[in-house]
Amino acid sequence: MGHDDLKEMLDSNKDSLKLEAMKRIVAMIARGKNASDLFPAVVKNVACKNIEVKKLVYVYLVRYAEEQQDLALLSISTFQRGLKDPNQLIRASALRVLSSIRVTIIVPIMMLAIKEAASDMSPYVRKTAAHAIPKLYSLDPEQKDQLIEVIEKLLADKTTLVAGSVVMAFEEVCPERIDLIHKNYRKLCNLLIDVEEWGQVVIINMLTRYARTQFLNPNINEGGEKAFYGSDDEDDDDEEKKAEAAALAKRKPYVMDPDHRLLLRNTKPLLQSRNAAVVMAVAQLYFHLAPKAEVGVIAKALVRLMRSHSEVQYVVLQNVATMTIKRRGMFEPYLKSFYIRSTDPTQIKILKLEVLTNLANETNISTILREFQTYIKSMDKDFVAATIQAIGRCATNIGEVRDTCLNGLVQLLSNRDELVVAESVVVIKKLLQMQPEQHSDIIKHMAKLTDNIQVPMARASILWLIGEYCEHVPKIAPDVLRKMAKSFTNEEDIVKLQILNLAAKLYLTNSKQTKLLTQYVLNLAKYDQNYDIRDRARFIRQLIVPTDKSGALSKYAKKLFLALKPAPVLESPFKDRDHFQLGSLSHLLNAKAGGYQELPDWPESAPDPSVRNVEVKDSVRAGGTVTLRGRAPGGQACGVFLSSDQSSGEEQKRNRKVVKERRSGSESESEEESESESSESESESEEESESDTDIKKKKKTIAPSSSVRMYELLHRITGEGLAVEYCFSRQPFSPDPHMVAVQIQFTNNTSSETKSLHIEDPKLQSGMRIKEFPEIGQDFLLPAGESVNVVMGIDFCDSTQAANFQLCTHTRKFFVSIQPPVGELMVPAFLTENEFKKEQGQLMGMNEISEKLNLGEKCQSDHAIVERVTAKANLSRVPCGSEKENRFAGKTVSSGSLVLVTVARKEGGGAQLTVNCEKMVIGTMLVKDILQALTQ
Amino acid sequence: MVTALSGDQPPVVMSHKDLNFIHVRQGGLYWVASTKTDASPFTIIEFLNRLAALTKDYCGSLCEKSVRMNFALIYELLDEMVDYGYIQTTSTDILKNFIQTEAVTSKPFSLFDLSNVGLFGAETQQSKVAPSAAATRPIMSHRSEQGGKNEIFVDVVERISVVIGSNGVLMKADVEGEIRVKCYLPTCSEMRIGLNEEFSIGKSQLRGYGMAVRVDECSFHQAVKLDEFDTYRILKVCPSQGEQTLMQYQLSDELPCAPPFRLFPTVEKDYGNRLLIFLKLRCDLPPKSTALNVSVTVPVPKSSLSLSQELSSPDQTADLQLKNKAILWSIPRFPGGAQLSALFKVEVPGLSSASLLEVGPVSMSFELPKHTCTGLQIRFLRLSPTHPGLSQRWVRYVTHSDSYTIRI
Repeated sequence: MGHDDLKEMLDSNKDSLKLEAMKRIVAMIARGKNASDLFPAVVKNVACKNIEVKKLVYVYLVRYAEEQQDLALLSISTFQRGLKDPNQLIRASALRVLSSIRVTIIVPIMMLAIKEAASDMSPYVRKTAAHAIPKLYSLDPEQKDQLIEVIEKLLADKTTLVAGSVVMAFEEVCPERIDLIHKNYRKLCNLLIDVEEWGQVVIINMLTRYARTQFLNPNINEGGEKAFYGSDDEDDDDEEKKAEAAALAKRKPYVMDPDHRLLLRNTKPLLQSRNAAVVMAVAQLYFHLAPKAEVGVIAKALVRLMRSHSEVQYVVLQNVATMTIKRRGMFEPYLKSFYIRSTDPTQIKILKLEVLTNLANETNISTILREFQTYIKSMDKDFVAATIQAIGRCATNIGEVRDTCLNGLVQLLSNRDELVVAESVVVIKKLLQMQPEQHSDIIKHMAKLTDNIQVPMARASILWLIGEYCEHVPKIAPDVLRKMAKSFTNEEDIVKLQILNLAAKLYLTNSKQTKLLTQYVLNLAKYDQNYDIRDRARFIRQLIVPTDKSGALSKYAKKLFLALKPAPVLESPFKDRDHFQLGSLSHLLNAKAGGYQELPDWPESAPDPSVRNVEVKDSVRAGGTVTLRGRAPGGQACGVFLSSDQSSGEEQKRNRKVVKERRSGSESESEEESESESSESESESEEESESDTDIKKKKKTIAPSSSVRMYELLHRITGEGLAVEYCFSRQPFSPDPHMVAVQIQFTNNTSSETKSLHIEDPKLQSGMRIKEFPEIGQDFLLPAGESVNVVMGIDFCDSTQAANFQLCTHTRKFFVSIQPPVGELMVPAFLTENEFKKEQGQLMGMNEISEKLNLGEKCQSDHAIVERVTAKANLSRVPCGSEKENRFAGKTVSSGSLVLVTVARKEGGGAQLTVNCEKMVIGTMLVKDILQALTQ
Repeated sequence: MVTALSGDQPPVVMSHKDLNFIHVRQGGLYWVASTKTDASPFTIIEFLNRLAALTKDYCGSLCEKSVRMNFALIYELLDEMVDYGYIQTTSTDILKNFIQTEAVTSKPFSLFDLSNVGLFGAETQQSKVAPSAAATRPIMSHRSEQGGKNEIFVDVVERISVVIGSNGVLMKADVEGEIRVKCYLPTCSEMRIGLNEEFSIGKSQLRGYGMAVRVDECSFHQAVKLDEFDTYRILKVCPSQGEQTLMQYQLSDELPCAPPFRLFPTVEKDYGNRLLIFLKLRCDLPPKSTALNVSVTVPVPKSSLSLSQELSSPDQTADLQLKNKAILWSIPRFPGGAQLSALFKVEVPGLSSASLLEVGPVSMSFELPKHTCTGLQIRFLRLSPTHPGLSQRWVRYVTHSDSYTIRI
């Protein structure tokens, strides 16, 4: 079949026709139709300018490239070109598609592309590189060693955007290389809260495994943890426990590794996450890693998840069921949350029942049983059956209520619903087996039921009971056998087998009355259609009927048939499920799924903790920094641009803390060790202060997105030794989104300390507002030679008027003023091309300012223009179909008016700059600034 | 392969050889993911839920038709969200920078749509409250429409579950609620939502002098700023386009007012084989409120054969569902303060006194528009700075029954 019309449309010059064709083709793929014969026609459009068409071509290409390898190669050069594009989004998307094309010939090209992208300036591209790693690995596992190098490099990345993706790659390619994590462990712990949610899940799971290999069991001194909560299998491991206790006596007291604590502390706030996967990941981390006393915090979070979709509930309950077996105490306060609602689907009801049964103990059993009673009335038969089984389990686990339960179940025997009766019989049978002597009346009652009850399993259970305890009902038993012999031929197979058993047992105990009956039943069985039953009959006859040929075994027939049988253990199907990592698919299936990583056992002795120490370099000095951490509104979009000094600053703090904690907390460790550590940290700080200034310079030149110009607020001579500089950090000011964040750096160049830095007496134009940095405390001293960073917010009311105020120390006051360049009065706005055009159309006339210019020599390329404009003004790029144009968009901070900038290049180095903005003053000034930047 | 499907509730996770299938059900569609490796099932379920929500945001509504019409868009969405099985992002804000294809919306024209489709797609007579068609519009479509309206919807949705004992005592009552925002504003400015000033969380805290509006627990979307919450009960948020849940809260074990429905049942054995069930149902809502789509399910003995009924008005219906062995009594509209009664005569061969035990518990489902059980109200909804152009703000309240059981 040919798709000539589609081919024609793809070959046409009109984008709209191409688009329509591509949409139809994608719809064909979605319906499962084969569209591979269109490959040549589609692949031609891979370089199409229209981004809509292009993206659909990518979708097609990824789907069919494997089948049409030769033709797919034609498209490779387009992507190679894309990898060099100045726009980070295009670079990333080229890498994404290139790495999705599963053609082995291009493995070397992919490898090269991944390596280059891994050191790309844009974190978004680096993230894509991390995603590409497992793709290449699955295409060609030979590349593993090289890929591990890339992973190692990306693991060291400090941006939150990359962290999640690279850990995913790590888990896929080399989960066994736990050594790669050591140096990054603390950083990952600290970044965790800012990583996007899907990354968090992966990182937390990986860190759980890591912690199991590197730290000691925090519950080691508690002995068997089961003892505390009283679980049913205490007796089994008594001896083990004794041995353990003896070993413990010799062991020194347990001190938690500070890194272990760090992980627990940093994951705890994530229990509040709105993403169920994150909450569960943290819950399993606490379950597997936390000291027993702290695990309780996860119960509340998990109970909260139960208010979510039923699918989520289902998975949560599976995990809760496993947890309740090990740590019953933790969920007891939430007993009511597991009560069943009439609207719950059956599978949820049954899981809730499971949890309730696990939670039952002497104190709450009466409440639970009352609840169970109402469940028996339900219309859902599966659920009623499960409830009866649950009652049985409660009765076996809690001795005090056994009789109550038994009586309740016996009452159910008069229920009109056969299923209820049948299920009750089965459960009663199990219960009676534990103490048959006291309950001959119940057995009698059940014997009567054989007349009515038809469910085979229940009939079989009754017959077994009567046979087993025939001494307790000596009169009734032969009569039951008589009735059964009558109906033998119409019974189900399992019932027939039990009739044979009953006959054999009666023959052995009461042969006078039952000899003939037994013979009769055995004869019937001899000609049964089912070979199991024929076999059983033959076997029984040989054993019990003495003949001359019968061997030595018949002497033991009584012992064989009437041996004391151990009572069945009614236990939870969730017992021992916890050997699978909670929250994993394997746990859910109770079977190992492909690629499941075993959760290792705790090590006997702790591995060297110093492997996680990191030498600190290339970060701005930040000792005791008062940094207001702005959480970017809208999450990751801004997260991309968060400069690295926040995280590294934190990390540094963390390192200091660790050193401190070590000093105080590790008395048991040898002194030598702690000495060497402290000297290490000293040398670190020296190194930092030396390289401090260099780094700042370096920063300015390296990354344009994070390069910030420092302005002087107070020269060190006028400030009598106190030098103050400020910069516009371009980060959102979290206390008030209408303010511009100004980062101020104080450096004390005097030989004495400076105290109580604060702001007084602001003189502001009307409407302007200042949010001071929190005073750095009376107690805080800025020691000689040190510096400190603070962030303050100023609402400039979208004007370039200076904000004047006094800067005070404990001794002096200085008049200072901050005047913003116009480009700092705005924040990036993310628009699409269409939105941009639409908005521009509304800002014409007076609101549009246009200038012609000649581009400077160094600024002919796209890349240079983008760099200069974004350096001058805090704007974001807008995607643009035309190659000659660059577009930027932003909003003023205070009033949110749009600022749109277009730079259209012309032949011969000329260009046209257009600024559209409602605020004409801002527009005019911005044109001037950008003009200057572009012509230099 | 799908032999494990039992009735209407297939297991969430199914596996066949090495392949595992995980599904969720939303909008009458199955969203299935398959995996060979041990991926976190939570991640997959959560992702499928997000995907469904995003599809709804982008296509306007969630049904087979809208999915079929927007294959290209959904492929593009998936392409941006997942890369070789790894989730890249699910945030609307980021995705809208990438997604190019525009949604095709189905606009079936029927008189029924114009008059009778109400809140949340349910059939109500209260549909004049808000333009329902607007709420099921794709969030991205305004890009091309010049006259796209700037609208924002704030919905307070509560689900109530109640168990009333046979003696009329309220045994259990839980309310789960959430505040949802659906935003169509092209550029997002800050929005301030004021709740009742006497809104209090937990048992100890009491505010205001009058009746406090109390909840036990409260959680917020991460984008909500709470600096004014403690003093003024104001939520501040910059909503991104699409639908999101700003706040969730729960109230357990106690209701600030009487439960909405009371039932006074009498079950008797007639001479012969007839069972007489006399039900008096009272609606305890304030007189201005009305309950809609009330349905009462009364389980009857297994052997019931036929039913004759006496109902108080012709718009009510009742029938015996032989499959479930229950009487279904439906009342389309039930004003507050009213009392309805019904007499059911059920033919049960072999009726005994034990059969009487098989009647009940009664379960109900209903919808209460313009009513919240906790009493939570939205005092005001402000966009600051005032958005240029007309922005329309809608606040809607509704309470659904989650599980409402009355034991007999």
